[in-house]
Amino acid sequence: MGPELHTIHGHRAVETLAAKLRRRQVVGSREAALETVLVLRQVVSKARFSNIQQLIAVIRGVGRRLVEAQPKEHTVGNTVRRILHNIREEASSATKVSAAAPARNVYTISKFVLQGQPRKHNAGVPKSEATATLTEDDPNDPDSFARGLKPVLMEAIQDVLDELETVYDNVSKNAKDHIHSDEIILTIGHSKTVEAFLKSAAHYRNYTVIVAETAPSYSGHDMARSLSSAGISTFLVPDSSIFAIMSRVNKVILGAHAILANGGLVAVAGSLLAATAAQAHSTPVVVCAGQFKLTPLWNLYHDYGALDLGDPSSVLGFEEGKLVERVDVVNPYYDYVSPELVDVFITNDGDHPPSSVYRLIKETYDDDDNEL
Amino acid sequence: MPPKSSSGKEKDIADEDEVLQAVILADSFNKRFKPLTVGKPRCLLPICNATLLDWTFESLALAGVQEIFVICRSYADQVKAAIRDSKWSKPSSGIKIVPIVTAKETFSPGDAMRDIYTHQIITSDFVLVTGDLVSNVRIDEVVRAHKERRRTNKDAIMTIVVKEAGAVHRTRSRGVSGVYVLDPNTSECLHYEPVLGYPPASRVTIPREILAEHPEVEIRNDFMDCSIDVCSVEVPSLFQDNFDYGDIRRDFVYGVLTSDLLMKNIYCYVAKDGYAARVADTRSYDAVSKDILSRWTFPLVPDNNHPGGHSYEHLRGNKYIAKDNSVSLSRTCKIGNNTLIGSHSTISENATIHASVIGQRCTIGAGATLRDAYIFDDTEVGEGCFVVGSIVGSHVKLGKGVRVPNGCIIADGVVIGEGARLRNFERVSKKRGASSKAVVDGSDGDDEDDEDSELEEIEARKFCLVSFLRRIILTSRADQEDAATILGKDSNALVWPRGSPADDEDELDEREHYNNLRLMRIGTCDDASDLELSDAGSNTSSDSETESESSSIHALSRTSSMTSVSGPSLSHANLSAQTSAIHSLSSAAAETEFRSEVAQSLERAFDEGHSVENAAVELKTLRMASNVPLRRVREAVVGAIVDRVPLVPGDASAQRTEIAKMVRRWGPLIDKIGGVDPVETIEALQYHCAAAGPRQGLFAQMLVALYQQDLVDEDDIRAWHKSPAAKGEGVKPGSPLAEGLQKCWEVGAKLLEQLSEDSEEESEEESEEEEAPKATVKAAAKEESDSDSEESEDDSSSEESSEDDEDEEASDDESGEDEDEAGP
Repeated sequence: MGPELHTIHGHRAVETLAAKLRRRQVVGSREAALETVLVLRQVVSKARFSNIQQLIAVIRGVGRRLVEAQPKEHTVGNTVRRILHNIREEASSATKVSAAAPARNVYTISKFVLQGQPRKHNAGVPKSEATATLTEDDPNDPDSFARGLKPVLMEAIQDVLDELETVYDNVSKNAKDHIHSDEIILTIGHSKTVEAFLKSAAHYRNYTVIVAETAPSYSGHDMARSLSSAGISTFLVPDSSIFAIMSRVNKVILGAHAILANGGLVAVAGSLLAATAAQAHSTPVVVCAGQFKLTPLWNLYHDYGALDLGDPSSVLGFEEGKLVERVDVVNPYYDYVSPELVDVFITNDGDHPPSSVYRLIKETYDDDDNEL
Repeated sequence: MPPKSSSGKEKDIADEDEVLQAVILADSFNKRFKPLTVGKPRCLLPICNATLLDWTFESLALAGVQEIFVICRSYADQVKAAIRDSKWSKPSSGIKIVPIVTAKETFSPGDAMRDIYTHQIITSDFVLVTGDLVSNVRIDEVVRAHKERRRTNKDAIMTIVVKEAGAVHRTRSRGVSGVYVLDPNTSECLHYEPVLGYPPASRVTIPREILAEHPEVEIRNDFMDCSIDVCSVEVPSLFQDNFDYGDIRRDFVYGVLTSDLLMKNIYCYVAKDGYAARVADTRSYDAVSKDILSRWTFPLVPDNNHPGGHSYEHLRGNKYIAKDNSVSLSRTCKIGNNTLIGSHSTISENATIHASVIGQRCTIGAGATLRDAYIFDDTEVGEGCFVVGSIVGSHVKLGKGVRVPNGCIIADGVVIGEGARLRNFERVSKKRGASSKAVVDGSDGDDEDDEDSELEEIEARKFCLVSFLRRIILTSRADQEDAATILGKDSNALVWPRGSPADDEDELDEREHYNNLRLMRIGTCDDASDLELSDAGSNTSSDSETESESSSIHALSRTSSMTSVSGPSLSHANLSAQTSAIHSLSSAAAETEFRSEVAQSLERAFDEGHSVENAAVELKTLRMASNVPLRRVREAVVGAIVDRVPLVPGDASAQRTEIAKMVRRWGPLIDKIGGVDPVETIEALQYHCAAAGPRQGLFAQMLVALYQQDLVDEDDIRAWHKSPAAKGEGVKPGSPLAEGLQKCWEVGAKLLEQLSEDSEEESEEESEEEEAPKATVKAAAKEESDSDSEESEDDSSSEESSEDDEDEEASDDESGEDEDEAGP
């Protein structure tokens, strides 16, 4: 029973998602993560395995397929890694008769601080007691292991899904501690996380937001509309004036597409401009992002293509025949913002400085999975 | 299955989630990619290292199409095999692809549509595309809009996807385009007029009713036809009903919109976002490649969603290098912007590559220069080669220092020897035999071997053969030497004939006319002067061609390059202004070409005894096609008649009868070519006779004959006699021509004296009987000129009248396509 045989089961769903990712029909880090969880849940529920290694091989195979399809949606790989991490944890606690002891080793200070986690822990313990008789590679009944483990696994995957669904609320939980009355906040792009964060803060504080319009996608327009409809005093400014108004800004809040292990981040084009301007004025830069955006990548070589260059049509109309022929238009979706420009990351897993992101990643994923 | 449109109408509203069907016409029905498409269908040619068919599938998959029918004709087995082996045939692709092989007798998209009808495969609205589409347009949205429209208007049978592309655009075809008349509110296409690059169109006719019915219309000439059509089920049946519909645009759309009976509507969908273009010719191959590399087709770009399944790394400046680390780039090689290099390729030291696509497993030799070059898989480019603006097929070997200049196409498997220098726009394919004579013998045998070889190919080979025979006869030795210098030593290649295939022009669609095709070749610049320059250069180097051939090509290149400036993309006002400018510039060049054509046409008419009407029609068409002034036609006709008169030396009366016979038979032709201008006729006669040495003596008799035939009258002769041209002004004095002119003029003067004596006697009767039916203006002119000849005092009025005459002449000369005078 090789892993290839197992991949057949979830194949259709995997291929569909891979095609959608390739064709950019699934875009956005959260949507990609959600889709990945749903596909993996399908794969796991259909998978046949008699030990945990087989299951992990299946999931890794699927993960590799999806990541290859769209390496620029980092959350796909992250979600796969996270699920693998959870499955390993569940499986080890299920197979080990003494469930409580190994769990201690895994938990670290950051998780200890975060009281949201123990729920899973509590749920895991009774389960593992109930299925304490699970044995791997049972020659008499090869499926018994899978049968016994699956409910736990499904729950582990459900946890990831729940986390994704509640990520905005959890990130913006502490918004009022970061935004104070009469502050002027600058943001760029239309990040759902930032939007939720600002709106949540607006319940407690009275402050002003300046939104850069974020050419050429002009997603800032939507952001400004959304914020002002929530009753926040909002200004929409062109990107070119970011530096000019930076002296009056108290805080820059950015969304992220992915947070890299070195503490840098990939964010909507224009973020680098805002972050650099903020540094020149010593304005704090705050990044709001869900934990699922933590990516075990270091960006050592500043890979050019990683910025995901889109089509030039939003910058230069295709009908401009003469220009189309003579001008090469570069239209990146993302900027890479290096760690020195960022002051703090606000995640659903607490607040962290860029320098400790690598630690966070180490705790969130297993080292084995960094290369899927 | 809908046998008639009625049942289809019931179905289309039925359910939203029925499968979206698409039909791909995988055959191009033309041979613009020859010789690359010898032995391979066009849809399997690679563009950016994936076959065109894969790009088309991906484009359709992007739009959510679930069922695709691929209509293939030539090399159907290869197409089927390609589909079978591709990722699309796997169940996980979510798309069902059904190849349908049509008969070899399918010669046009229309035939293919009739085939679709007979197969009864279409169950609902479907997407019709060609097998060479690259698109990221959301076709599903077009389909939704189409269905929405069908809900209210059952007669909306088709939605054409077009894209704004501006006046000058690399991706917009210069050879074949169209003028769309739209209703800006409903985007209904009210009228469609196909436009060709050559001959350049200067006018578009829009039916009056359209302007009457619609208060607001948009006339668009900047649309790029994406060749994506959302069709209703009745479209194939309409093709079935109208068996003469060939092309979808020229015949079907035009036919439906101009038909009084069908009452069907066609709509346009102007795609604002997204990209869609057809690789319809080698020029658009170049353009679409560039568009892909500069990411207009995103997300269909090499590093993201490459249809061939390759993965490329995207580097700064839109350079794409295969990701698997198999590409070996020398430390000193230079890779310029917009370049794609396939896996396992090797680029040697000091090679320069710019804006090019290199296939898999290619080797680029040291110091080679590639610019705008498209190199297919497994090709070897030797040291110091120079390849610019050309397509090089797979498994080609270019020896050391081969120069492949602009516009060359080198077919698969060709070996070109060391130091070979191809000429511009050279087409080269693999030779089937060892020597050029063996080609003639071998081609028949090959046809038998290769039973699959489509008619297209045989035709091409026949044409090859004919031209080869011609060449062998004409310049056999020179040609062989020439081939050696062009192709180098140890080459297995065969140079395709250049220029226009005169033999089968009649059979060809005018879109496939050589002059039009040359606008659609790779390496053809938008810059007209450049084209002219490059062609002139190629002509000087082409010694193999006979004098007349090369001069005619030269003439052609001049005209087409000049006209391409104006092109159909310009506004009409501009056009007419430009054509006259073009006219004066290129008339000299066009004349030579036109002369020979007219001479041939007249020869045929004389020999085969055509009626005067038929000959006139032929001449008119020729004049339109070559865009020369009427005067040239007249000169040519007069000249031909004079040359045709058998010379009877020493027997004046016999000579006279011969002339009279000739003029009686063919004289009327002079006035039927589109405009009556007797003065010009005499002038043409004079100049021709003066230049024609032995026939100089015929002038007087010819003039008399023309007079007797009523083709000229006395006033005309008088007017001619007074005109400065008749006296030989503007001709270098002392030259034989001037002397001849002088003699003729004197002869004319004598004749005039005689005539005036006669006319004095019969003046009363003549003026009443003969002049009455003629135009009153003429009668007035006659009076004036009569009085003038008698040296009366009202000089001023006579001068005025003669000036007027000259003005008319001048305007005739300049406005070559002046239609007003076309119908006598």
